[in-house]
Amino acid sequence: MPPPAKIRIDLNSAVPAYRQIVDAVRVLLVEGALPPGSELPSVRRLAMDLGVHFNTVGEAYRELAAEGWLDLRHGRGATVIARGLPAAAPERLQEFRTRLRSLVAQMRAEGVPPARIAAELRSLTESLKS
Amino acid sequence: MNSAMFLSLLAVAFTGALMLLMPHFSSPRYLFAVTVPAGFRASEPGRAALRRYHWWVVRAIAGSAVVVVGVAQSWPDLAVVLAMLLPAIAGMATFLRERSLLRGYAAPPPGVREADLAPESGHLPRWIALALVPLALPLAAAAYLRAHWSEIPARFPVHWGAAGEPNRWADKTPAAVYGPLEFGAGMMLVLLLLGLAIFYGSRRTPQRIAVLKILVASVYFLGLIFTGVGLVPAVKIPLAAFIAVTLLFAAAVIAWGYKIVTDPAQPVEATLDQYWYLGSIYCNPQDPAIFVQKRIGFGYTINFGNRMSWLLLAGFVAGMAGLIRVAR
Repeated sequence: MPPPAKIRIDLNSAVPAYRQIVDAVRVLLVEGALPPGSELPSVRRLAMDLGVHFNTVGEAYRELAAEGWLDLRHGRGATVIARGLPAAAPERLQEFRTRLRSLVAQMRAEGVPPARIAAELRSLTESLKS
Repeated sequence: MNSAMFLSLLAVAFTGALMLLMPHFSSPRYLFAVTVPAGFRASEPGRAALRRYHWWVVRAIAGSAVVVVGVAQSWPDLAVVLAMLLPAIAGMATFLRERSLLRGYAAPPPGVREADLAPESGHLPRWIALALVPLALPLAAAAYLRAHWSEIPARFPVHWGAAGEPNRWADKTPAAVYGPLEFGAGMMLVLLLLGLAIFYGSRRTPQRIAVLKILVASVYFLGLIFTGVGLVPAVKIPLAAFIAVTLLFAAAVIAWGYKIVTDPAQPVEATLDQYWYLGSIYCNPQDPAIFVQKRIGFGYTINFGNRMSWLLLAGFVAGMAGLIRVAR
């Protein structure tokens, strides 16, 4: 039996808590750790466990639902749904390229060798199933 | 030495031991309810704080013993009360002083939070149903009293002094005879409801399950004690039996709680120092949890910053007031 999926956020980070929740849950969804049909904790329960406001989790769930990952039914929590892969628009690809470029530059600036960066990117891409 | 003096000295020893243990009865992450860096307890400032605390509490225990010996002859009931109050007050004052001194060594506030995404671990465990079993005890005792109604004397004792002698009596009426059993059954239900409130109103941690187990055990303990008290009109039960069961239960709960709380492998809630007052009162309006893990001792305390907590507290007070009214 695989270990239960967990998310981790850092309240001292400059990244807003709701954004960290969206990013962490999306990683689990893309990696297949939360397959379609999986139920997520209610907004109240996850907010309590993370020690953040209900609205923070509610906003994160709504964003994931808008991306097509979750089905939110009133009083029934959040359920992972099967999601078809949309075709990425050229402007979104450009945006991702800019973000990746910035991240790679930061890694280089902090002394990570180019070969290591390439290996990390390859490893991450291969671990994603969809 | 009379029995009141013996009981008072026993109470001083018990309360004093609890006070001496208090700063140790917490996660290694805290000292005097302040978040400290890893290994701080073993450092020189940490050990010095503990030494100062122990030294003051030992002096308070000795002073309390002298006071209770002095008053036990003339005011035995007052001696028992002082025996519990004096070491507790002195210990708390010393604790708060050390807490204030340690604030300068506090670790930076923890920001990392982790949560399980599985919803099923939020379900109530099946063994909680075992807590309903002891509710049969007061019912059985009531049936026994009814069957032996003619054997109950016209007046029977309902309160005992520090020397173990009855000092209050009640007339044989249904309210007086069944009152303690009704009160006991009500207390058991209140405790059970409190356990459910803690389970659903706190973060999912192993300590939540451990507290629920202790509350179920406490329902059994209350069932035994109140059934014994309820049977007093018809059955002679020595006072020592009640004291022995209570001390045994308290010792077992303290030992188990101490083992869990001091286990460095146990996850600790990341509550922030700034929301803790006097080391034991938590008030954080941003935290949606109604109950949070205590920093001192074992179990949970209420988050006074949550509106739901006040509603629960009001319900609890109303329930207790109703029970006391029934018992009278």
